[in-house]
Amino acid sequence: MAGLSLQGVKKRFGHTEVITGVDLSIADGEFVVFVGPSGCGKSTLLRMIAGLETVSDGRIEIGGRDVTNADPAKRGIAMVFQTYALYPHMSVAANMGFPLEMAGLPQPEIDAKVAEAAKILHLEPFLKRKPRELSGGQRQRVAIGRAIVRKPDVFLFDEPLSNLDAELRVQMRIEIARLHQQLKSTMIYVTHDQVEAMTLASRIVVLKAGRIEQVGAPLDLYENPDNMFVAGFIGSPRMNFVPVTVVSQGDGFAVVAAAEVGLREVSVAVRGEPPVVGTRGVLGVRPEHFASGGDACFEGTVSVVERLGGLTYVHASLSDKSALTVESRDPRGFDLGTTRRFAFDPRRAFLFDGTGQRL
Amino acid sequence: MKRTLPQSLALYAGLAVIVLLIGLPFWWVMSGSIKLPREIISRVPTMVPQSFTLQHFEKLLQSTDFPAYLVNSLLVALFSTVFTIALALPTAYAFFRMKFPGRAALYRLILVAYAFPTVVVLIPIYGLFARFGLIDTRASLVIVNIAFALPFSIWMMRSFLASVPRDIEEAAIVDGAPPRVILLRIMAPLIAPGIASVAIFTFIASWTEYLFASVLIVSDARRTIPVGFAGIIGQYQIDWGLLLAGATLATIPVVILFAFVGRWFVTGLTEGAVK
Ligand SMILES: Nc1ncnc2c1ncn2[C@@H]1O[C@H](COP(=O)(O)OP(=O)(O)OP(=O)(O)O)[C@@H](O)[C@H]1O
Ligand SMILES: [Mg+2]
Repeated sequence: MAGLSLQGVKKRFGHTEVITGVDLSIADGEFVVFVGPSGCGKSTLLRMIAGLETVSDGRIEIGGRDVTNADPAKRGIAMVFQTYALYPHMSVAANMGFPLEMAGLPQPEIDAKVAEAAKILHLEPFLKRKPRELSGGQRQRVAIGRAIVRKPDVFLFDEPLSNLDAELRVQMRIEIARLHQQLKSTMIYVTHDQVEAMTLASRIVVLKAGRIEQVGAPLDLYENPDNMFVAGFIGSPRMNFVPVTVVSQGDGFAVVAAAEVGLREVSVAVRGEPPVVGTRGVLGVRPEHFASGGDACFEGTVSVVERLGGLTYVHASLSDKSALTVESRDPRGFDLGTTRRFAFDPRRAFLFDGTGQRL
Repeated sequence: MKRTLPQSLALYAGLAVIVLLIGLPFWWVMSGSIKLPREIISRVPTMVPQSFTLQHFEKLLQSTDFPAYLVNSLLVALFSTVFTIALALPTAYAFFRMKFPGRAALYRLILVAYAFPTVVVLIPIYGLFARFGLIDTRASLVIVNIAFALPFSIWMMRSFLASVPRDIEEAAIVDGAPPRVILLRIMAPLIAPGIASVAIFTFIASWTEYLFASVLIVSDARRTIPVGFAGIIGQYQIDWGLLLAGATLATIPVVILFAFVGRWFVTGLTEGAVK
């Protein structure tokens, strides 16, 4: 068991810097999830922690030990790959026992540990099979089994569930959460599925273009995003962003308006110094924070209605061409093409400045 | 995929042509080897043997040195094949995975071995082997065969290595396997078709090699089949029955090799590894 720390970690491929300086410390036993859009460097960062990619600059410590240049096998990590990466010519038992065999353990001990891992992962009936004789979910469990047999300090997962179908993904997600409670080891998990991120993580690291945008507990990121990128990335469907102008301000709040989209003066809380009157900004409102009643509202034309049963998503366009997504518990009363008002709760709205930083 | 009837017919017709083209000469040689001399040289050739005799095989095995040539050929071809694989595999892996200065240049350079006509290198090699006392040894043939098979084998194996998903290798690295173990326990089984191809290529090249065998080997007892057999057939008069029997026996090891190695040519070896 061990924590982990990244200090000024950078990665260059030739002249392009894909990780542009990451500082992060992870406590023992934490479940940290890296999220971010495709190509932002999640895998690269994880592979640097694993030792599969060299570190161009900075320092990586695992359990207080500098491992920046250590061999992957000497870092006390185990990794589960998106593609499972099983050894196709070996049986399930041999696959899971391989790291122990490499560590020089005697065969009876290997067998015992493999049996124990197989029990945790419900793989006992398959130990003699070859990977090609298993389903996708079983293969993924073998890959996880191969990681847990060695009792590593840190588990690294690179999008382990993305090759599974939706149902199995939910099941495996729960299994991984259970595994974390059971083993209590540090886990770092890369995904771009934000449901996985929200449900599994004790802390989420949001990455963008090789840089950390924000680190925090899932609900912190949801309730208190630092910028428009994080606000838009966490939460589904995406947060709505509507350009507004500051019309007055006071201690800890700003009053904003956007007449062209039907938004009359509404007061929004701000975290720091209130913005000066006349500033152009962006108001962020999550689809789930719309509710009938109240003065704060946008005026838009209903363009698409998705009725999911319990919930209904209404997509509307505002007169300034920006799109609005509204969640409603009542499926009735949204006729296509009609223009209507969508009221929201201004206490749950966020104000961002012109550069996308939270005010 | 469903084929229409004309498509199927065309396919089978094409197959039949290929089978005849390749199979007919074989059938001619093998069936001829058990015909009586009279039938072999008869004016109207017979596709199905009308007579049966083992006299050609008897003569070949009892009153010529053919058995010795067969053993020599087998030894030379087997050792050439085994050493070629043993050398090509780690070399190809090094070219594929290790980073060292001049790697790309060196990798291209090894193909220069094929740039010269063999006759050109014959004399320098003879001189070299004479100095090391290797003339008239079967080892000299093994060395020559390896030298000629190696560059191609390295290229071949490298491309097979490149087809193994990188993740599998990285998983082995994380699992703590040193390069030697990764090569032998993980990569080698996964590129079995590549190893089989190299084995067959080297074996056949060694089995049929004539030029060096005719120059480097002096004593009759150390000859390989291509050279030794040419001597048996005779210079002025050709014993057709003997020729066909010898040709038949000479193909048998190759056929056995294909049967033995063929099972490694299975596709989808990495199936189930990724995805
Ligand atoms: N070996 C490499 N050489 C050059 N560039 C690379 C290499 N590996 C990754 N990159 C680049 O680094 C950036 C980050 O890649 P990375 O694979 O870490 O992204 P990711 O966040 O994992 O994306 P995804 O969600 O699609 O898996 C990308 O722009 C990619 O093109
Ligand atoms: Mg990735």
